Amino acid sequence: MESQWLSLLDVSIDFDQSHLFFPRIVTWILVILLAMIVITRYRLLVPGLKRAGRVLAGREGEFDHKRFFGTLALTTAYFYLMSVLSDVFPNTGYSFLIMSVLFVFLLSLLYVDHLTRRLFIILVLNALIAPTLAWYVLAQLFRITLP
Amino acid sequence: MDILSHLTPMFFGLIAAGTLIGIIFGAIPGMTATMAVAVCLPLTYAFGLTNGIALLLGLYVGGISGGMVPAVLINIPGTPSSITTTFDGYPMARRGEGERALKIGIVASVFGGLFSAAVLFFFAPVLADFAIKFSYVEKFLIILLALTVIASLCSNMLMGIFSGVLGVWLSLIGTYSITEGGNGEPRLMFDFMQYYLIDGFSLLPVLIGIFGLTTVLLDAEKGFKDDTGQGPISLKGGAKFKFSVFKGQLLNLVRSSSIGTFIGILPGVGGSAASVLAYSQEKNFSRDSSQMGKGAPQGIVASESSNNALTGGALVPLLSLGIPGDSTTAILIGAFTLQGIQVGPLFIGNNIDTWYVMIIALLAANVMMFGIMYFAIRHIAKVIEVPKYILYPLIIMMCVVGAYAINYGIMFDVWTLLLFGIFGWVAHKIGLETVPLIIGFILGKSAEVYFVKSIESYGNLSIFFTKSPIAMFLWVLIAVSVAFAIYLRVRNSRQPTIES
Repeated sequence: MESQWLSLLDVSIDFDQSHLFFPRIVTWILVILLAMIVITRYRLLVPGLKRAGRVLAGREGEFDHKRFFGTLALTTAYFYLMSVLSDVFPNTGYSFLIMSVLFVFLLSLLYVDHLTRRLFIILVLNALIAPTLAWYVLAQLFRITLP
Repeated sequence: MDILSHLTPMFFGLIAAGTLIGIIFGAIPGMTATMAVAVCLPLTYAFGLTNGIALLLGLYVGGISGGMVPAVLINIPGTPSSITTTFDGYPMARRGEGERALKIGIVASVFGGLFSAAVLFFFAPVLADFAIKFSYVEKFLIILLALTVIASLCSNMLMGIFSGVLGVWLSLIGTYSITEGGNGEPRLMFDFMQYYLIDGFSLLPVLIGIFGLTTVLLDAEKGFKDDTGQGPISLKGGAKFKFSVFKGQLLNLVRSSSIGTFIGILPGVGGSAASVLAYSQEKNFSRDSSQMGKGAPQGIVASESSNNALTGGALVPLLSLGIPGDSTTAILIGAFTLQGIQVGPLFIGNNIDTWYVMIIALLAANVMMFGIMYFAIRHIAKVIEVPKYILYPLIIMMCVVGAYAINYGIMFDVWTLLLFGIFGWVAHKIGLETVPLIIGFILGKSAEVYFVKSIESYGNLSIFFTKSPIAMFLWVLIAVSVAFAIYLRVRNSRQPTIES
C-alpha cells in the first residue's frame, strides 16, 4: 500500500529534455507566486500603476526627469560609443579613456546645481585626471583589459 | 611555513588601502560596503589570490565600519547596518560629543569584528566538515533553507519568495552545462540571444549593475537633494573619549557581537536586522536603558559591535557551504571564483594556507580599521562632504571596468551591467527584494544540478524527505523559519508602533 502511494512520486527525466525540467518547475512556481501577488494586492496594483505613470509623466510627485533620464541616456551613449570606438583602437584602452573623459564631464555637469567658473574648472580637471589615472593604473600598470 | 611567505608588506598594504577605501565608501551616505567591493573589484584582477583577498576583506570591514560616520554626524546611516547608531550617536554629536561617539563606535566595532573572526575560525571548519558528508539531496535542501530564511525575513514574505525564485529563474538562462552533467541545450531565451547568453548572465556584471548603477539611478531620480537639511556637525571641542566608558559594557559587547555573528551566519538577513536586534536586546536587558535614544554610549556599543560582527559571521556560510551570508559576500563569492577559489565544504580542507591567510587578513583589517578611524577620524569625517556630482560619474566608470574585464573583454557584460542597473531600479520601485533575488541568482544553477541529480539517482520525489536524518532536520529548519516569520508578522501586526 505504502509503495503504491510512493510510486505516485516517481519521476524520470528524459536526458534530451533534461535542460527544461528544472526551468519548467521554477517558471510554474514563478507564475503561481505572481498570481498570488496580483490577487492579494490587486486593489493596490491599478492605482499604483496609474500613479507611476503620472510620476513618470511629471504630473505628480518629485521626480527629477532631467537627471534620471539624462543619466540613462548618457550611460547608454557612453557604452555604445565606447563599443564603436574600441573597433578603432582595439586592445589599447583608448576608447575607454576618451569616452570616460567625456562621460565623466557631461554627467558631472548634469548633476551640478549651480555652475560657477571655479566649479567648471574643477569638473574639467576631474574629468581629465580621474579617467586618465584609472586608465594608466589599470591598463598600463596592471595590464587589465579595457575597451 | 608557507603562510608566512604570503604575509608580505604588499599584503598588509593592500589590507590598509582596502580598509581606508572601504571606510570612505561607508562614510558617504548611499554608498555601501557592497558598492565598495563592486567598484574596486577590477583592482583585484591584477593581484594574485592572497593579495586580492587582502584588498577585498579590507574593503568589506572598512565599508561596514565607515557607515557610523554619517550616522553620528548627520543622522543618516552610511550603510543600512548603522541605522541604530543614529539613535544615540546623533544626539551625542548634537551636544558636542561627536568625536566621543565615533570613538565609542570604533572600539565597539573592532571588538565585534575580532569576535566574529574568532567564531569564523573555530566554527567554519566544523560546519564544513559536517557539510562534506552532504549528498545532492542535502545540498539542495541547504539552498532551499537559505532561500526560505532570506525570504521569510523580508518585509513582505510573498515578495521575498517571489524575488528569490525570480533570481533562480534568471540564473537558469543559458545552456544546461555539459560540465555539470547537463545536455548542453539552451533554454529560457530566443534563438537570436544564444550568441550572447550561451553561458547565461555573468554574475559580477549583474551584481555591479544592481548594487552600483541602481544606487546612482535612485539618487538621480531624487535630484541629489541633501536629505539632512543641515551640514555635518563639527568634531572640534566637546567631551573627550575615555576607555572607561566601556566599564560595565562587556556583557553588552559580547551579547551584541554574538547577535551580529549569528545574524551574519543566516544567509541574506543583513546588517540592519543585526543592529536593530542587538539594540533592542540592550534596551530590554540593561539595568538602565532610560537614556537610550537620547545619546547613551551603550546604544552605540550595541549597534556598532553587532554590525561589525556581521563580517565574520557572513563568511561562515560562504566558506563552509558556498552560500553567501549577505550582499557583500555575494560579490565576494564572484571575486573568489575569479581568483580560482571554489568556496564550499571542501574549500578549507583543500586550501588550508588560503584559509589562514583569510583569517589573518580579517583580523588585520579590523585592527587597521581601528588604527585608521581612531587616529584620523577628524579627517575621515570630511569625506561625507564630497559632492556626488564628482563621485557618481567615477563610480559608473569603475563599474564599466569591473564588468568589461571580468571575462577579459566582453562588451555584452557592460550591457548586462546597464540592463541590471535599470532592472534594480524597477525592482526597487515595485517592491522586489534585492538580496533574495541575488542569492537566488547565485545559487540557482547549483540548485538545478542538485535537484536534477537527486531525481536521476533515486527516481522518486520522496527522497527529499527520507534520504537521511539530516534531510529531515533541514525540513524542520525550513518549517521553523517559515513559522518564525509568520509569528513575527502576527506579533508586529498586534504592535503597530515599533519602538525606536
